[in-house]
Amino acid sequence: MEKRKHIDSDDEDDKYKSKNLEAERRRRKKLNDRLLELRSLVPIITNMNKATIITDAVTYIEELQRHVKDLSDQLLEMDANCVNEKETTKIEEIDSAKEMKTWGIEPEVQVTSIDGTRLWIKIVYQKVKGGFTKIMEAMSVLGFELTDISVTTSKGAILVTSCVEGTRGGLPDVDQIKELLSEIIKSI
Amino acid sequence: MYEESGCFDPSNLQQQEGLIQAEDGFSQSHIPNCNNPSFSMEEHSNYHQNHPTQQDVAAAVLEMELQQQIMQQGETHWMQEIVNGSNWQELSNFNRNMNQYSLTPYPTTPDLLNMFTSPRCSPSTATLLPNSSISLSNSAQKSPNFLASLGLLGDLNPVDGASASASVVYDPLLPLNLPPQPPLLRELFHSLPHGGYALGGSRTSGSLFPGMVDERDVNGGDGRHFENGVFDFSGDMNCIGKNRAEKDTKHFATERHRRVLFSDKYKDLRSLVPNPTKNDRASIVGDAIDYINELKRTVNELKVLVEKKRSSKERLKRAKREDDSIEGNIDTKSLDDMGQPYNGSSLRSSWLHRKSKNTEVDVRIVDDEVTVKLVQQKKINCLLFVSKVLDELQLDLHHVAGGLIGDYYSFLFNSKICEGSIVYASAIANKLIEVVDKQYAAIPPTSSY
Repeated sequence: MEKRKHIDSDDEDDKYKSKNLEAERRRRKKLNDRLLELRSLVPIITNMNKATIITDAVTYIEELQRHVKDLSDQLLEMDANCVNEKETTKIEEIDSAKEMKTWGIEPEVQVTSIDGTRLWIKIVYQKVKGGFTKIMEAMSVLGFELTDISVTTSKGAILVTSCVEGTRGGLPDVDQIKELLSEIIKSI
Repeated sequence: MYEESGCFDPSNLQQQEGLIQAEDGFSQSHIPNCNNPSFSMEEHSNYHQNHPTQQDVAAAVLEMELQQQIMQQGETHWMQEIVNGSNWQELSNFNRNMNQYSLTPYPTTPDLLNMFTSPRCSPSTATLLPNSSISLSNSAQKSPNFLASLGLLGDLNPVDGASASASVVYDPLLPLNLPPQPPLLRELFHSLPHGGYALGGSRTSGSLFPGMVDERDVNGGDGRHFENGVFDFSGDMNCIGKNRAEKDTKHFATERHRRVLFSDKYKDLRSLVPNPTKNDRASIVGDAIDYINELKRTVNELKVLVEKKRSSKERLKRAKREDDSIEGNIDTKSLDDMGQPYNGSSLRSSWLHRKSKNTEVDVRIVDDEVTVKLVQQKKINCLLFVSKVLDELQLDLHHVAGGLIGDYYSFLFNSKICEGSIVYASAIANKLIEVVDKQYAAIPPTSSY
C-alpha cells in the first residue's frame, strides 16, 4: 500500500523531507483510522488485514442492500393489499374548506410589478392536494423564473409569496397574469 | 551452455551495455582464471564493445567477485552462467540462468523448482544493487542470515519454515522463500484446503500474494485456476522453498500485482457507494462508512414501517370484521386509527444525504414529518417537478422556502406523510434525484430556462 512519493529536492532537502514525511504519516494514519472504523462497523470479519477489511465491507454492503430491497418489496406487497387512503383525503379537504370559512380567509391573487421584469406575486388558496403543483405549472407556463418563494400553510389555507422574473421579454401584463392565476386557483 | 539459457537473446548482447574499457583489464585478468574451456570468445568480445554504465560496472565487478567465489567452490559451470549474466539487463534472461545457479547451495531444491517454474528468479538481478550483491556472497550459508543481510527488507524477521505459517500474512518477503523441505512443500500445497480459497463470488477470504499465483505455474498436481486469485496462503508460502535469489524482481512484481489487486478492491467498494466523492483511498473508505450507516438506518426505518403496516392491517381487519355494514362506522374506525399515536414504538427517524452531479438532496424524517432540502444548479425550474414527485409520493406539502442563490437553486420542503403511506427516506431521495437529473438532462444546453 505504499505510494512512493517523489520528494522534490529543489529546495532544502531536509525541510521538504520532513514536511513530506509528516504529511505522508498523517495520510497513512488517516487511512488506517478509517479502515479501523470500517472494520468496526462490519459484523463479519474474517482476517484482520487491509485486503479483507475491504472485501468484507463490500460483502456487507451488498447484504445490507439486499436486505433493504427485501424489506421494501415486502412493504409494497403489504401496501398493495391495503386501501384506505381515499377516505382520509376527502376528510382533509372538507376540513380545510371549513377552516378557511371559519377564519374568513378568502382566496386571493395579488400581482405587482417591481422594477422592470420583476413581479411580486401573492396567492392565497385552499389547501388541497396537488394545489401547489397546479400553481407551479401555471408559473412555468407563464415563463417565470423564480427568484425566491415562500409557502406556508395555516388555518386550512396556503399562502404563496413569490418574487419572479419574467423571461418572455417585454413587460408582462400584470392584470392578465392576475386573471390567469385567479382562474387557476378557482379550479383547484 | 548456451543451449540451456534458452531465453537468452543473442541480439541483446549487442544492445546491452558492458564493461568499461578500464574494466576489460580486470575482466581479462579474471577470465583466464576460468577453467571452463567452453567460455567463448564471442562473449568476451562483448565486454569490449558496449558502453558502460555505472551500474554495469558495479555489477560486473561484483560478478567477478562472485565468479571467483564460485570458482573456488569449484563450480565453473555456474561461473560461466554468471559471466553470461553480467552482460544482460534482461532480467528474464538472468532468471533462467540463475535458476540453475542458485540450485547449488540447496541440493534439496530441485524438487521445488520442478513444481514452480518461475521465470523471474535471479541472484544476478540482485547484483545490480550493490547491497544485495554483497550479501549474495554470503549466501552460501543459511538463508535467514541472507535475508537479514538484505539491505532491501531490513525490518523483516527471518523466519524458518516451521514458524512460517504463523507469520504475518502481509509479509512482503514471503515470495523470497527460505530453504525448503520439499516434502513439506508438497504437503503444504496439497494441504491447501479447497475451502482455503474462494473464487470470485464470495470474497470472504483475503487474497495473499495473488501475484505469486500468476508467477508460478502450479504444477503441484492441482491445476487450479487462480485467475481471480482470491485465496489465502496464510504464510504457507514461506515454507515453500523458493530460491531466495529470485526475491527481487519477484518482489517487485508481486508487490505491484498486490497493489493492483488492492486498487481493484477499492474500486469495487467505490462503485457500490451512491455518492462517491474524491477518488482517493481514505475518502473511499470514508464514503463507505457513511453509506453503511445510512443503509443501517434505512433497514431500521423499513423494519419499523413493516411493523406498523402489519399492526395497522391487523387493526383494520378487526375493525372490518366487527363492523362492516355501515360505512359511517368504518369511517369512524379509520379515524380512530388516525387518531392513535404510532404504535407505541419508538419515533421513526431517519435521514440521508445524496449527491449527484448537479443536485444535492437531503432528506430527514422524524415521525411523520419529512424535511427535504434540495440544492440544484440553476438551469431548470425544478420546483414544479419536485412538487409533482412529492404529490406522487403522497407527501403533503405544507411549507416551502427557497429561491435563487447565486448560481444555485436552494429549497426547503416540509411535508407530512399521509397516514398509512410507506415511503421511506431513501426512496424519497432517490426518486427526487432521479427526476431532477432526468429533467436536467432533458434540457438542451442552450436553453437557460
